[in-house]
Amino acid sequence: METTTAENQEIILSARELGRVVHLKDGPRTIIDSFTFDFYRGKIHTVVGPSGSGKTSLLRLFNRLDEKTGGEVLYNAHPIEGYRVTELRKKIALAFQIPYLFPGTVASNLAYCCDETFVADHDFSSRFLRQVGLDPEIADRDPEKLSVGQKQRVAFARALVQEPDILMLDEPTSSLDPGAAKVIEELIDGLNRELGLTIIMVTHNFKQAQRLGGISLLIIDGRLVEWGSSSELFTHPRSDLTRKFVAEEL
Amino acid sequence: MIETGYVEVAIAVTLMIIAIVLSRWQRIGTEKEIAIGTIQSFVQLVAVGYALEFIFNLDSIFAILGTILVMILVGSYTAARRASHIPRAWALSFVAILAGSVVTLGLLLTMGIIKAKASYIIPLGGMTVGNSMNCAALVMERLHSEITGNRLAVETALALGKTWREAVSSYFTKSVKAGMMSMLNFLKVVGIVQLPGAMTGMILAGASPLKAVLIQVIVGYMLTAAVTVTGLVAAHLSVKQMFTPADQLKI
Repeated sequence: METTTAENQEIILSARELGRVVHLKDGPRTIIDSFTFDFYRGKIHTVVGPSGSGKTSLLRLFNRLDEKTGGEVLYNAHPIEGYRVTELRKKIALAFQIPYLFPGTVASNLAYCCDETFVADHDFSSRFLRQVGLDPEIADRDPEKLSVGQKQRVAFARALVQEPDILMLDEPTSSLDPGAAKVIEELIDGLNRELGLTIIMVTHNFKQAQRLGGISLLIIDGRLVEWGSSSELFTHPRSDLTRKFVAEEL
Repeated sequence: MIETGYVEVAIAVTLMIIAIVLSRWQRIGTEKEIAIGTIQSFVQLVAVGYALEFIFNLDSIFAILGTILVMILVGSYTAARRASHIPRAWALSFVAILAGSVVTLGLLLTMGIIKAKASYIIPLGGMTVGNSMNCAALVMERLHSEITGNRLAVETALALGKTWREAVSSYFTKSVKAGMMSMLNFLKVVGIVQLPGAMTGMILAGASPLKAVLIQVIVGYMLTAAVTVTGLVAAHLSVKQMFTPADQLKI
């Protein structure tokens, strides 16, 4: 199979010389610079880097919330432009750093992309709420009354309803206390192991990447600096930039 | 009927002097604006009066259309200035106001309610363009602020696989309603809270109140249709400027 590595792991998403340049008032600015990488089906990938390094921009290019200006992205070995964008975004789901839940109830959020009859379907909402470790009883609650951690989990559940192949998470624990962040990390690990979901998660915290395991990529100024197993990359860095990042000198 | 001439206008300036004196006495600070407005409005309206006399006497369809076109150009430019953050705002508001004006005036003409004469089309066209201009400006400005203010909600919907039309549908509706609100409020209170200008003008000019009322009803319906068409066209065209063909928010 062409889309496999030597270890026979299937590549689900590939970026080839991916680039994004935006034109600002003071001239062009490179956000992503010749990014090339393969993401593997069923693996956890953490995209790590300092603030403003282009991590979020990268996720937005994968589900076409933003448009690339160079290179290509292949999903299941086909250019993402070949998929209908609304379908692509269901398969490459993105949960934002700040979860936004639509006015209504938790159940109406879960059924946001489904037929309206699902709003009153308790089996439906219970199934997805349990998947993210939430009590099905909250289905009828106003999302505004939930804690940030609960909102984040409802946002995950809402993305899971679409049955995505890839779940992209943008700094999902950045606004959580350490306890709530740990719950989310365990949930991500569970979703990966139990549902076989491919995870691409952005974080500025390399220790979190180490806790989650899998593969880590370090991005600085829109460029892929170094990648490797999460346990190795930050303990035995090969690049000076990685060393500086670990030493918080960047 | 009120006898009006330059002498009567000169006497009416007393009212503006009262406004200036009150402003100065209470230190409101609007004396200069009132003074300039007194002269400016007089010059503008007298110039328009002469221009209308000239156009009415010409009685040419080209002169009528030309006048309406100038009104729409100026109206759309004014609307676009309030929505300058929307790309091609002038062109969009021009099309929206044109659509509102053509549909309503065209229907009134084809249904035989008004005649194809300058004395009908130009005053009604002025009202249509004026109201459509306000509506287009409000709709475009509101739509932009709703979408930029709710960027996370819009992008969440897009990320969940919704089309841009679905993602902005509630903001679209809100914006069109906002553009139509003053007209809808006007319909509710007309005759009770205020006597509209067209009707008052006719009564002052000596027309029977009942006839003036019936014409005002037609004007009200015409303006409601005009702002509805303008609001919808302005919203459709504006929102399309905010997204790429790949359902990406670009503002």
